[in-house]
Formats: sequence, structure tokens, C-alpha cells
Amino acid sequence: MIGAGKTRFGPSTHAMPRLAQEAILGALDDAGMSIEDVEAFIVANFLGGPNESQLHLNSVIAGLFPDVRRPGWRVEAACASGGAAVHQAVHMLAAYDPILVIGVERLSGRPSGELTRNIGMAGDVTLDQLQGLNFPASYALVAQRHMQRYGTRTEDFEILSLKNHANAQLNPLAHFYHKQVSQSDIDCGATVATPLRLFDCCPVSDGASAVILSAEAIDARSVPLIGTGLSTDVISLAQRYEHTTFASAREAARMAYAQAGISPAGIDFAEVHDCFTIAEIVAMEDLGLAAPGEAVELIRAGQTSIGGALPINPSGGLKAGGHAISATGVGQVYEVCKQLRGEAGERQVRDSRVAVTHNVGGVGGTCAVQVLGRPT
Amino acid sequence: MSMRPCQGCGRRYGYPVDVCTVCRSPLGETGERNGEVVAVTEVATPSPGHEDVPYWCALVMLDDGSYAISKHDAPIGIGDKTHTSARETATAFRIGIVGSGVMARGLVELFLARGLEVVWVARSLERLEIARAKVESRLVRVMDDEQLAFALSRLALSDDLAHLAACDLVIEAVVEEIEPKLAVLRSIEQAVSSECLIATNTSSLPLDVLASALERPVRFGGMHFFNPPIRMRLVEIVRSPQTDDDTDERLFELSLSLGKIPVRVANSPGFVVNRVLMPLLNEAVRALEDGVAPAEDIDEAIRLGLNHPMGPLALADLIGLDVVVNIMDDLHNRLGDAAYAPRPMLRQLVEQGKSGRKAGAGFYDYSAPPLP
Repeated sequence: MIGAGKTRFGPSTHAMPRLAQEAILGALDDAGMSIEDVEAFIVANFLGGPNESQLHLNSVIAGLFPDVRRPGWRVEAACASGGAAVHQAVHMLAAYDPILVIGVERLSGRPSGELTRNIGMAGDVTLDQLQGLNFPASYALVAQRHMQRYGTRTEDFEILSLKNHANAQLNPLAHFYHKQVSQSDIDCGATVATPLRLFDCCPVSDGASAVILSAEAIDARSVPLIGTGLSTDVISLAQRYEHTTFASAREAARMAYAQAGISPAGIDFAEVHDCFTIAEIVAMEDLGLAAPGEAVELIRAGQTSIGGALPINPSGGLKAGGHAISATGVGQVYEVCKQLRGEAGERQVRDSRVAVTHNVGGVGGTCAVQVLGRPT
Repeated sequence: MSMRPCQGCGRRYGYPVDVCTVCRSPLGETGERNGEVVAVTEVATPSPGHEDVPYWCALVMLDDGSYAISKHDAPIGIGDKTHTSARETATAFRIGIVGSGVMARGLVELFLARGLEVVWVARSLERLEIARAKVESRLVRVMDDEQLAFALSRLALSDDLAHLAACDLVIEAVVEEIEPKLAVLRSIEQAVSSECLIATNTSSLPLDVLASALERPVRFGGMHFFNPPIRMRLVEIVRSPQTDDDTDERLFELSLSLGKIPVRVANSPGFVVNRVLMPLLNEAVRALEDGVAPAEDIDEAIRLGLNHPMGPLALADLIGLDVVVNIMDDLHNRLGDAAYAPRPMLRQLVEQGKSGRKAGAGFYDYSAPPLP
């Protein structure tokens, strides 16, 4: 990982190309290279079609570097588009080196009904949504099952939400960087789908992230990406056998850990896909960072805060850092790069050598996991 | 919605496929299954198609160990029992349609497209055959060969009302005049079972008068569809003074199950739509008579100024000027308001045989342009 750039996540007046350019220039500057040095590029995007009536995004992005004409294509795997694109880039390095991966998304400015419908395209339109199972409702059922099975409490969700909001206040690129969230805000939050309330849900953000990968380190700031995994599971909750864990995440983690030659015990912190608070708990357990049902013990003990034994989402996560769908998975890799280099400023996690990213599409339909190590 | 198991390896499928992709064994049927609710969420945020909140989504474990998701309008609790049937579409429901005009054709198209069985009766088999071909030409636009063959296999044609005997509901859509409708309704009632509902598609005739033809007026009501029925979402549901609650409710529910939006209206001349529409059409004709603007411009002005999808003169041509005159005469007689008396130009066009689009001419010329 030789370069990384990211825009602020949050509502923006900028069009997708402008957002993408900011992230691309950030990554190029970070790597100390020119766009002409890039051999190929991958654009991760989920809703350009339905939201903006714009597809063929590789060609749109090529408009940001006229006459350069590199091979480029788009990857879409719902909210896991970014992680899936990074995974693909790793495997394409034999053909193109270096590769630029851009995740970009614009979600603001759409009527909320339309946006809900479009985001709903990440779930099964015929099997689940016909029954009114929108995204909050899906994760609400996961939460209900988790609470029944393990005694997880809504108070655990609140601790987690406050922790991610506190982290976001240390991250100038976070959606809620300027927003202070207290217990009384959480208490006032409207019910979304029981047991989930407003502060259990991530916002939808505009934003872009970009990373540049090469098979070789170029300098002492190059961050080794030592393992990557991608797994796809059935999309419908009705076609699953278990609802307190995502098989795709467990499988993607297994692949990534095997490639990295590590076990979960070797992980110092993680950026995980907390689109809802319950999702962070499920993520910790699927990644093997806690045994099933035991993630809440770490959360209750404050161990997942930045100063804790196992910081989770030092960036603020999706919950408070923001969720610019396809930019999210690439943005997690950006965050981990910053952290492992010791460039994360106020939110810096101390003494970390290995970190993991976890990016989920739908309700566990797709999961991408990457393991990164400290620059050597 | 529940899953179909592979008969070989037991993997479960939720899509309309016939074999297991992994082991290639055939998939079994869904079958009727009992289930138990294992988790529930009360959903408080609306989404497209699910605007009414709150509602409840349940994760149901079925007795074969598979899961299903179900939506409920009332709270449901963990441990509650559910039952899913193999077919969630309408149970075998046979519809009789009487008439061979535009609305009869449109209704046959609608019911076939919605998967129901249709018995279609009109006086002339020859005309029925022509009408059937028109329905087929409409269905073929939205169906593949297999779907079309299946739809047509559910259609029976007859010139004998006796073939309506096994219908659950018969809708008459014959000419919009009292005497022919009375005669047809009387004959339908003699042909069908005492359980069968009878509905009229009249757009404005009094239901109490039509009901007087029947021995069982409690089973009779109005279902006023709009042309073309497959596209127009409104159904005016009309009660006569004798219609019973069960009949009213079933006609309302059937409309909903067809994807329509039923509105209950009083048995009053023209119901809502025609009562409001006819003076509008009449005024558009008067504007044309008075030279306010040419037909095209009158229509353009109304389309853009009132945001109507179609101008009133073009709409009158589509409905049929003879039908428009009949409705206006009837409304005029019953309401006694001169606003409903058809304008002279309307009568003239009908007398000249220019009764609108179906005649090739009305306010506009619909004859095919000559080839250059």
C-alpha cells in the first residue's frame, strides 16, 4: 500500500468526479507519484446508476486524467464494493503495477424514499424486501437474535455508539467530527426498527477514498498488505441458517488470516463495518476478535476504545465516521495505513503492528477482509 | 416466502429454478408448512412499498428447519405459530366477463394477466374471436410464449351464458344502456350459482335500477374500471341499496388483489369520475364550438395547464363520442343540470359516424396516413 487519500465523509455539494479527484490526488501525493505512473485503475461504486443515472464510471473517472488512457473498470458489491475492489487489485498486481483503487459515492440530495429504495437494492428485492425487510429491519432481526442467544443488551449498543462518536471527534475527515453526542442524545433517538434507534444507525455520506497498491514497497512509509479475503454468501436472511453471525465474514477472515499467516490473537486493532451498532459486535465475533457472544465483555470493559487493549473503529467507524458506501471499504484501508504509519494524529492507536479491515455488503451477502502490517 | 429444498443435498433455494446448482438434483415443492416466530422487529421507518408504519417483520423458523421472513400489520410475538401455504397467489377464482366491447376486452386482459381463470361470453362467437385476438396481441407485449400459452389456457369463450355456471364473479360490460344491461343481468343470474357475485362495470347507470332485474340483489354491486383496465389503477366500488356488506367487501378486496386502488362511491349519477369529467369534456367541446382555439390547442392547454396526461377532446375520442353522449344524456336527465346536456357538436359527430378513435375519426382523424 504505497499511497492513500480520502475526502471528508459527509454531505457535500461536490459531484462524484470532484470527490474522486480529491481522493486520487491525495493518494498520488502520498505515494509521491504522478497519475501517469499508474498502470490500471479500479472504480468502486454502488449507486451511481440509480442515484445519478451515471454508469460506466471507469470512463467518467478517466475524464480526470485525459489522454492517459489506462485500463480501468468498475467493481460493485453493494456496501462491500470498496473492499472487493482492493481485494481484486491485490490479485491483479501481477498484470498491472501499480494499481489505483478509487471508491466514490454520492448519496445526499436524493429524496429519502428514493434513496431508501436504491440502498435497498443491496438486499434481496424479491425475497426479503417484499416482506418489508429493509436494512434497519434486517439488522434489527440480527440484533434480536443476538440478544436472545447471548444476552446482549441495548445498553451495549449505546456504549459502542458513544465510543464511535467520541473517536469521530478526533477525526477531521469524519462525518460527525463536529457533533458531540451524549447519552441524552441517544435517549432521545427515535425508534427505527426495534431494538435499533437513531443512534444505532450510521449516516449516509458523500465521499471518496483512494489507495495505490504495488507489489513492492517504495519507501519506509509503504504499508504491507499481508492478507486479503473475499467471500460471498446468499443474500436473503431467509436462505441462511444462522442470524447472529455472517458466514461470508468468517470465511473472508479465514482466507485473509491464512494468507497473512496470523491468527486473530495477532491483531492489534480493527476498522469494521458498523453500519448498525449490532454489526460491530457481530464483526468482532466473525473476525475472531472475541468468541461468539463475548464481544460485549470487551465493549463493556472499554477495551475497544482507542486506549483499550483492542481498539475498534478508531476512525469513528461507519457509525460516526460516515458511510460513503463504496468509499467506505477503501477508506478503512486508508485509515489503517494512517494508523500503522503513526500518522493518525489525535486518534492514533499506540504500538500497533497488525490491523484488519472488515467491509460488508448487504446483510452479510459479501464480505471483504484485509490484513495490514506496520511499515518495515 | 419460503425456500424450496434440493431433494438431493437439502440446500435451499428461494428463486424460481428447478434444479440444484451444486448436485443437480431436482428441487422439491415448498409445500404447506408450520412455523414459529423466533425474532420480531417493529419497523418504524417507512420504505417504498411499505409506507404504513409501524409494521412488524418476523423471522420465522419453519418445521423443516428453514427460515422465512413475514410482514404483519399487528404485533406478533416470539413463539407465535404461523402457517404458510404452498401458493400465495389468489386461490382458484373464476371470473366471467360478458360483452365484447373495449371494456370487456380490457377486463379479460387484466384478469388473465393477473393469473385468474376467465369465461368470456358474448352474443357472437365471431366477434369474440376477433376480440380474443386483440387481447392476445396485448398480452404478447408483456409475456413470453410460455406465459402467453398459460394465460390463454385459462380463457374459455362462449356465446352461451350457461357457461358462466362455475364462476365466482361475473362482471357485465355490455353496452351502456339500461334495457340491454337489465336483460343481460337477468340472464346471468339464471346461469350462475346462488353464491356467485355479479358486478356491473357501468360508468354511470343507477345501481338500484339495475339491481331490480335480479332475484338476489344482495350479491350485486358496481365495479367501475377505467380504460385500459390493465393500466388504470382506480376502481369505483358502488353499492346498490340492497348490496350486502360481504359483497361490497369482496369486490373491494378483489380490486386490491388485482393491484388496483378501489374507492367506495355512492350510487349517485356518474359516481365521482364521470360526474366531474363530463362537464369538463362538454366545456372543451363548447370552447371548440365557440372558436376559442382549435382542438389540438385546447387539448394542449389542458394537458399543460392542468397537468392532465391527455386533453379532453382526445380523451372523449378515446372513450367514444357515442358513449360520452349516452352518459351525458343520462346525467342530464337524472341531475337536471344543463351543464351535462351534450353539446350539439358532440351529437353531430356521432350522427356522422365519427364516434372517436374506434371509428377512425372524432375530434381527430385516426385513419392511417397514406403511404408516400
